[in-house]
Amino acid sequence: MTKNILFLILFFSIKQVSGQIKIAGSVIENIQSKEVPLTGVSVFFIPENQGVFTDNLGEFSLNLPVGFPAKLVISFPGYTNDTLEINSAEPVRILLKKSVNLKEVEVTAKKEALAVSTINPMNSIKITQVELLKAACCNLSEAFETNPSVNVAYKDAVTGVKEIQLLGLGGIYVQLQSENIPEMHGLAGIYGLTFIPGPWIESIQLTKGSGSVINGYESTTGQINVEYKKPMDMEQPRFFLNLFGDERGGMEANIILKHTYSSLWSTMLMLHGRRMKNEVDRNHDGFMDIPDNSSINIYNRWNYHKANKREAQINLKLLSDEIKGGQTSNVVSPELYKTMVNTKRAELSGKLGFIYKDKPFKSIGNIFQISVHDMKSSFGLKNYNATESSFYLQNIYQNILWQSNHQYKTGFTYRYNYLEQHFSGLPVIIEENIPGIFFEYTYNYLDKFTLISGVREDIQKNEKFVFIPRIHGKYNFSENFIVRFSGGKSYRLPYEIANHLSVLASSRQIVFNEKINPETAWNYGINFTKKFSIVSHEITLSADAYRTEFVNQLVVDSYTDSTKIFFNNLYGESYSNSLQFTFNIELLEKLNLRLAYKFEDVRSTFNGKTEQQPLVSKNRALGTISYVTSDEHWKFDYTLALEGKKKLQNVYYDLENNGKQFSPSFTIMNIQATKVFRKFELYSGAENLFDFRQLNPIIHPENPFGNSFDATNIWGPIQGRRIYAGIRLSIS
Amino acid sequence: MKSTTILFIIFLFFLNPVFSQKDTVNIHTSAVCDMCKKTLEKDLTFEKGVSKSILNLDDNILTVIYNPEKTNVDKIRLAINKSGYDADSLKADPKAFNRLPDCCKKE
Repeated sequence: MTKNILFLILFFSIKQVSGQIKIAGSVIENIQSKEVPLTGVSVFFIPENQGVFTDNLGEFSLNLPVGFPAKLVISFPGYTNDTLEINSAEPVRILLKKSVNLKEVEVTAKKEALAVSTINPMNSIKITQVELLKAACCNLSEAFETNPSVNVAYKDAVTGVKEIQLLGLGGIYVQLQSENIPEMHGLAGIYGLTFIPGPWIESIQLTKGSGSVINGYESTTGQINVEYKKPMDMEQPRFFLNLFGDERGGMEANIILKHTYSSLWSTMLMLHGRRMKNEVDRNHDGFMDIPDNSSINIYNRWNYHKANKREAQINLKLLSDEIKGGQTSNVVSPELYKTMVNTKRAELSGKLGFIYKDKPFKSIGNIFQISVHDMKSSFGLKNYNATESSFYLQNIYQNILWQSNHQYKTGFTYRYNYLEQHFSGLPVIIEENIPGIFFEYTYNYLDKFTLISGVREDIQKNEKFVFIPRIHGKYNFSENFIVRFSGGKSYRLPYEIANHLSVLASSRQIVFNEKINPETAWNYGINFTKKFSIVSHEITLSADAYRTEFVNQLVVDSYTDSTKIFFNNLYGESYSNSLQFTFNIELLEKLNLRLAYKFEDVRSTFNGKTEQQPLVSKNRALGTISYVTSDEHWKFDYTLALEGKKKLQNVYYDLENNGKQFSPSFTIMNIQATKVFRKFELYSGAENLFDFRQLNPIIHPENPFGNSFDATNIWGPIQGRRIYAGIRLSIS
Repeated sequence: MKSTTILFIIFLFFLNPVFSQKDTVNIHTSAVCDMCKKTLEKDLTFEKGVSKSILNLDDNILTVIYNPEKTNVDKIRLAINKSGYDADSLKADPKAFNRLPDCCKKE
């Protein structure tokens, strides 16, 4: 049938030819030095954009729209695009190359620190090594400190753990993945980002708005996909060492070893260790400003890579992390208030992918993951211990429908979780079995318009079906002016205490009045990106608007009663509106300036009243300047962040704020310099150069076991200025 | 006023290289891929007297801008050899060549 249609189309196009010049040709590729025709390749003239697709023999013919010379574009997913200048009516023969080569070309093209893709229909930012190296960047959460889209904030004054926020909502609403495998899922979620060492990361892809249905029912406000360093990447050195130290005695070491066995097999071993042990109490409240932390993290990966045929990988990760904080040994008291969070995790994951012979658009991918995550925590007399065992399986089949510009992906996922929790002695067991299926269709109209629409259906607890639709689109007004839009539903299972662990660092009573239902939300957004030049200064402008609307949410109510924290379902409305403007300019060669402004209005209904979410600032601005000398031997980075006032939690008696409703606004400045030598790099810098601190982050620190102790009303930095230095050494 | 003058003088020092003499030479190399380009261009930034080098991957020719008072073409060729690549008729240092990634070892 389709053949007939094709024939008809062909017939029509032949009929029109009379009187016009016809350009005929064939498209081929080289497979093991044999020439193989390529079917379904899109061939068109620009700027007219009228085109055809190649037939079964890889042949095509189309009318010359205007006259010689004309530009002919040959485009096929998975292959490098080719542009030919046509000067005569002679038949043309075009050899397309697989885009593996394209990737290598991209690497040498100017590496931007924050690359906004003009190809991806989703609003994604790729954060490359260039950007990652701008901050001291000990772990993934700190890697976002120079990124305008993401806020990084302390959750409490005792664990020293920073949490990220996207679109004004907490990190738990962002889906975290590494190389499309779930990363730090479920119980691990809250501290997950701090367990991913910065030097292991090759790049991070941050996508705003709903993600693809392929990756699951989560991703309310966005998605973070981490690409670790890869053993088959030839640019990775055989040996990499990173040592880091700061003025307060914090130390960190990273070692990465790579070995290639053959052109097919390669392996990488990544090691990370850190230690922070120094009782600092600058505000003399009797509590350590920075808790002691020691961590060991191991990642071993094995890759099998046969170009355009088969790919497999096995990853083993082990983690042990210990955080100890609370009152210092100088405090005279019969019993000291101590906090502790101990984490142990083991994970085995793998991928297996096949590409069909001679059909690079047709492939099968399989992903599996087994993990055990154990967390023990105590905050004074309160404690929460939990162990989660998970299994995850995913299968994706990818193919095209009649032409290469209609692609689809379909498959299934299966998740099994067994969570055993002990909160103040009471055991709570949650078991989940969630099978799901998905289908996603991608339509490409030349290079102008892309539409991705996807649906998935999961069977949640009690055989309840959950239907998730999502849509993403991109339209190019021109090559450098793009609009993107997205909309979709998301679903997640809240982990009441684990996701909000810092509530334990308060003497407020935690009240559960009812069973918490799954969180469901809709997210819509639009983004405009424009690139242009003014007198050879390259400028990128970008504007975003996103709205997240909860159907149900776990509402953590700290307003209603100053002695209690309520965990409730949502009764009323809960939403987040976010607007962001970003301006990027290359002032001089290798001198870049970036300015960003963000407005976020996040509200939820607390006991019948719609109020601003506590501790989220409405206004935020960020400026960064980076300069690299022409020989690339010196790099300088400067970041200035302004954070607006935040609504405080309702606190019984607040020493510092004295009944004030809002926190003050503040500014943070970071600087860093890097000197590049032939084999190694030295870097040094300062975080929070102005030494700005929230002076009394703990309320009633003198009586931690009393009724009004609270270490969760955190709106600013707890640590002051931090000066650090480090070395990066590579041997290839 | 005084500080402005000092700043201006410092600024002039930064501009100084612009006024110094510059020569350009084209050297045929055995560098063939993007990895080679990176390695070679980076290595040459550490070579005394070389201010810029660009490798054209279409014809493997490295264009070097240098200060003839500080270095000469032979020294530059030698530096290319030390990175593991042939430079015109001069062969690459075998030790350095062996350390190169696989994609750079192709002829």
